[in-house]
Amino acid sequence: MLNKLSESILDKFSMDFLRNQVLKNAYGNDDTLIAVRDPRVLLLWYLFFGLVPWFVNDIVFLLGCFVLVMITTLLARVAGLVLFLFALGVFSQTGYLLIVTLLFGGDASAILPLLVLTLKVTTVSLASVTVFSGLDPDRLSNGLMWYGCPERLSFSISYAYRMLPMLMEEFQNVLLSYRLRGNPPAHDSIPGKIRYLIYQVKVIVHSFYPLMLNTAKRSRTTVEALEIKGYRYAASSKEVRRMKLASLKISYDDLIFAAVSFLWVAVTMLLSSIL
Amino acid sequence: MASIKIENLSYTYPGADRPVLDHVDLEIMPGDFLAIVGNNGCGKSTLCKVLNGLIPHFISGDFQGRVLIDGQDTRQADVGVLARKVGYVYQDFENQIVRPTVLDDASYACLNYGMADYQARGRQALAQCGLQNRENEYIWQLSGGQTHLLALAGAVALGPDILILDEPIAQLDPGHADRIYGVLRELNEKYNKTILVIEHHTEYIADYCKHVLLLRDGRAAWYLPVRQALSRVEELQASNIFPPQVTLAAHALQAKGLLPAGGELPTTIGEGQQAFRSIPRPEYHRPCPPPARQPGQTVAEFQDVSVSYRSVKGEPHTVFHNLNLTLHKGENIALIGSNGAGKSTLMKLLVGLLRPTGGEILLGGQSLKEQKPEQIARKISLVYQNPEEMFIKDSIRDDIAYAMQVRQVENWQTRTEELLARFRLTDLADRDGRLLSGGQMRRASLAIGIALNPSLLLLDEPTANLDIATRKEILRTLNDMKAVTETVMIATHDMQLVCEWADRVVVLCGGSVVGDGTRDAVFGDRALTERVGIRPPEIFAMGRAVCEEALCYTVPEFVQLFGEGKRNAE
Amino acid sequence: MDAFQNKQVSQSQKLMVFVLTMSLYGLATLFTELIPKFQVGIVEFSVEYFLFIPLVLAMLFDPLSAALGAATGELVFSEIMLGQFGGLGELEKFLTVTIGVYIAGRLVRDPRNTKMVGVAAFVGTGAQLLMGTIVDICKVQFAVEDFEAVAGLPESVYATEGFAFLNDLIFSGILFCVLPTLFLVPRLYGKIEPLLGMNPRTKETSLGLFSAKTAAGCAVAFLCAVCAEMLASSGFELIDWEASWAESGTAMAVGMIVAAVVALAVLMVMRGKAQTAKVK
Repeated sequence: MLNKLSESILDKFSMDFLRNQVLKNAYGNDDTLIAVRDPRVLLLWYLFFGLVPWFVNDIVFLLGCFVLVMITTLLARVAGLVLFLFALGVFSQTGYLLIVTLLFGGDASAILPLLVLTLKVTTVSLASVTVFSGLDPDRLSNGLMWYGCPERLSFSISYAYRMLPMLMEEFQNVLLSYRLRGNPPAHDSIPGKIRYLIYQVKVIVHSFYPLMLNTAKRSRTTVEALEIKGYRYAASSKEVRRMKLASLKISYDDLIFAAVSFLWVAVTMLLSSIL
Repeated sequence: MASIKIENLSYTYPGADRPVLDHVDLEIMPGDFLAIVGNNGCGKSTLCKVLNGLIPHFISGDFQGRVLIDGQDTRQADVGVLARKVGYVYQDFENQIVRPTVLDDASYACLNYGMADYQARGRQALAQCGLQNRENEYIWQLSGGQTHLLALAGAVALGPDILILDEPIAQLDPGHADRIYGVLRELNEKYNKTILVIEHHTEYIADYCKHVLLLRDGRAAWYLPVRQALSRVEELQASNIFPPQVTLAAHALQAKGLLPAGGELPTTIGEGQQAFRSIPRPEYHRPCPPPARQPGQTVAEFQDVSVSYRSVKGEPHTVFHNLNLTLHKGENIALIGSNGAGKSTLMKLLVGLLRPTGGEILLGGQSLKEQKPEQIARKISLVYQNPEEMFIKDSIRDDIAYAMQVRQVENWQTRTEELLARFRLTDLADRDGRLLSGGQMRRASLAIGIALNPSLLLLDEPTANLDIATRKEILRTLNDMKAVTETVMIATHDMQLVCEWADRVVVLCGGSVVGDGTRDAVFGDRALTERVGIRPPEIFAMGRAVCEEALCYTVPEFVQLFGEGKRNAE
Repeated sequence: MDAFQNKQVSQSQKLMVFVLTMSLYGLATLFTELIPKFQVGIVEFSVEYFLFIPLVLAMLFDPLSAALGAATGELVFSEIMLGQFGGLGELEKFLTVTIGVYIAGRLVRDPRNTKMVGVAAFVGTGAQLLMGTIVDICKVQFAVEDFEAVAGLPESVYATEGFAFLNDLIFSGILFCVLPTLFLVPRLYGKIEPLLGMNPRTKETSLGLFSAKTAAGCAVAFLCAVCAEMLASSGFELIDWEASWAESGTAMAVGMIVAAVVALAVLMVMRGKAQTAKVK
């Protein structure tokens, strides 16, 4: 485990890969069935599949929801990294509880509720993967704004996507400086590996010193430019908000998407009451 | 009426002990294309921030006097109102772009100010800046030059009559730089915008600007038509501004009595052709090429290397296809090519940051794949284009010492002091690298680069973003360094650097090496330079314009050659 | 004019701090998301490894902007960008991070005082961890039906959560929060502020003591966090969802299906018409 962790931080872990996956996830699939949905419809959809499974313990119904969100996730063509993280997340949320319960002498009666819990977690996570990874970030932030989320959040979302490639490149260069100039301890033996891990953690902490200073310079230009571009003016103007949201339009396809989801849920409910 | 009127303006930054701008009086007429020049720290950027109202609205400090834009006092006007009168493009323009797509960013300000036709305005601005058809692209798909044009479009969209650009072409190759200035000229002539640029590239000032303003110690020294301004060679040089090489050559020839004294000096090649007509042609004997040196031992070798990047959408982007290149011991190599030709990629490959998709890279006779990063670090050193990313400690002494210290190099303390002295940094040793001036930062990054005595030193754009005076200083430092380095490779757009420093020039284009040889071989080959879009220094072009066979790379060479011509004629 | 101007200046400086913290902490949490959760035996080290970033910035600049920036950064970069958004439950994380960072930032009146910085970093981290632990325990209690009845479950949850809290506080809290903060604050002090056009914080310019009002504000925010988490993952007893549907389940489901099919048919026809109209 130690070994894996230390290797994943600097060696195998390629910043280019990460950057590419995040961008691909955000913009590379902007023509999928999910990406072109109206964000408001999709957020409502998420509200259902993100909440309802928590309250239901019926296995047939949960399975039905699970299959639906799995299909939508596939339709959204989510990047591999996100799916991997999803799997990791599910395991760390309930998988570990399962092991702990067994250790403390739980039996089958303890396992079943945990399995149901796992199914819930999976369904809810996939629903969020569909909506938040499937939607184009700008559409997402517009949708959130329509529901009254603060302007600053929707600004932060678009800005984050804008900044990420630059920040990563800078971080990569700083880490590279350490790699080229530093002298990591040999890591063949177990104590060596621990020393190597400590060294890497230290490098990462230290690398935030230059990063903070460099990013501070950037932030200043950005905020000055925002002031000139009337960001503050817009944040307090209802008219501007209306203009920003004018691009949102619900099409028949959006309604059909909602209706099909509704039909699916109804069918699973029927099945669960029959079975 | 003047579009900008500054009356007795003084400004001091909060916490500073002396004013940056000191009783400035100035009037700028509408339709002007003005270059603002001056020493580092003479208040150029501050002056620009005063004009768009950032000072005093968002940056506090002591503000005296009045600034009128179109008759309106900036202190009374809202920043929103001023933004529609004055557009500003920062030197670090990429931080000015806040939206992920092109059209979105161009129309962002208009949207924020509640203009109903914001998209149409954005589109129009993009068209004016030559970015039509790119509306739906994402920012990271743009090249550096296009990103700059987008920042400009973002400012143009609000329809200001005045545009201010802080060093617009500092990071660009000549092709992209011409494009930016072409756009600016069109904005100036066709759309009647008043344009102010902070610029050290006097060749561009000569070609495009109408007036020059010299700032000295926070005061406006003078404001003159461009040719008259650039003819004040001594005064400019005293402020560390270097007039175009043509002007310098004419100035030197004037001093020799070959050109009539007094009067305006030529500033462009066209004017130079006129002015130098009277000078007799030298009898030019092309010097015999120096005997081909026996290439030294191989330091690094690329064998059929191919590289492609994963792209966000669609096919991977190929940078290199079967690239072959050998670097020998003792060479000083300049790597040139336009933006995006793969210069940085080649360097990243050598330090093992990127892995080739095909082929093999040998370093010191051994495949790079078989070497650990620590081993590679002992043989090779890379100095980044942005020196700030080289500083990982909180003082430059620690930064220089770091690599030696962690490797327990013998006498690392004394060696650090030696390096500090060699690069004239001893007095600054305890300062943070980021807080130094451009030239000091560059020197510090070079000192870090050679700390471990690498057998191969790679420098990425060591003179980018520097004013000409500092560039000259770095060039001197690089020439000094030849005494202590083995093999050096520099990736650069700076052709003066190439001509005055390199003994081998490698030209990259379209994913492979298209030219490799001495400067004569590369710059003398018109077909090659035109195909790749590299431009030899102005003085070289000037020499050839006067006399086709002449190959002179520096002003002294030019002066000597054409000065000699006179003597021969006598 | 001057008062107005100063207000504007400080507003835009706050925005700078927000943007700075958001970008840096967001980037950092993006990596935490990628580091596999680190498990030794039964204890999971899932502490916020990079909490030192907002802590440092909150001590040097406006604490509230830094705290909000950090929470937003985490939400945007690691939750939304990577599709790991956990719904209403994220509000809990958002609020606990904000409170922890804010408390730490407020406690430091003079960043040059190392003792003060160390204590503040420890308290801030501790507050964040403690709140997280309380919420976690409540969460499991509500999420698993018959929590008390499941043999061994309550004990295991209390034991692991309690142990994880102590462990996180001592091990990760000190290693990843207090030490880096102590390393970074003195180095950045006086250097980073001018880059944002500000004066360094001194005793005189600090926001003053931690007042009862602030404490009350934090407490209310924490209550909101607990409620949000409960709502997100509890059984939501208010709506007796299952009961009503079990009784007339079949009939209702059939009704829903019919309604859905009718709606779909109508939509398809209208869409077809709209498209032919477009073609013409």
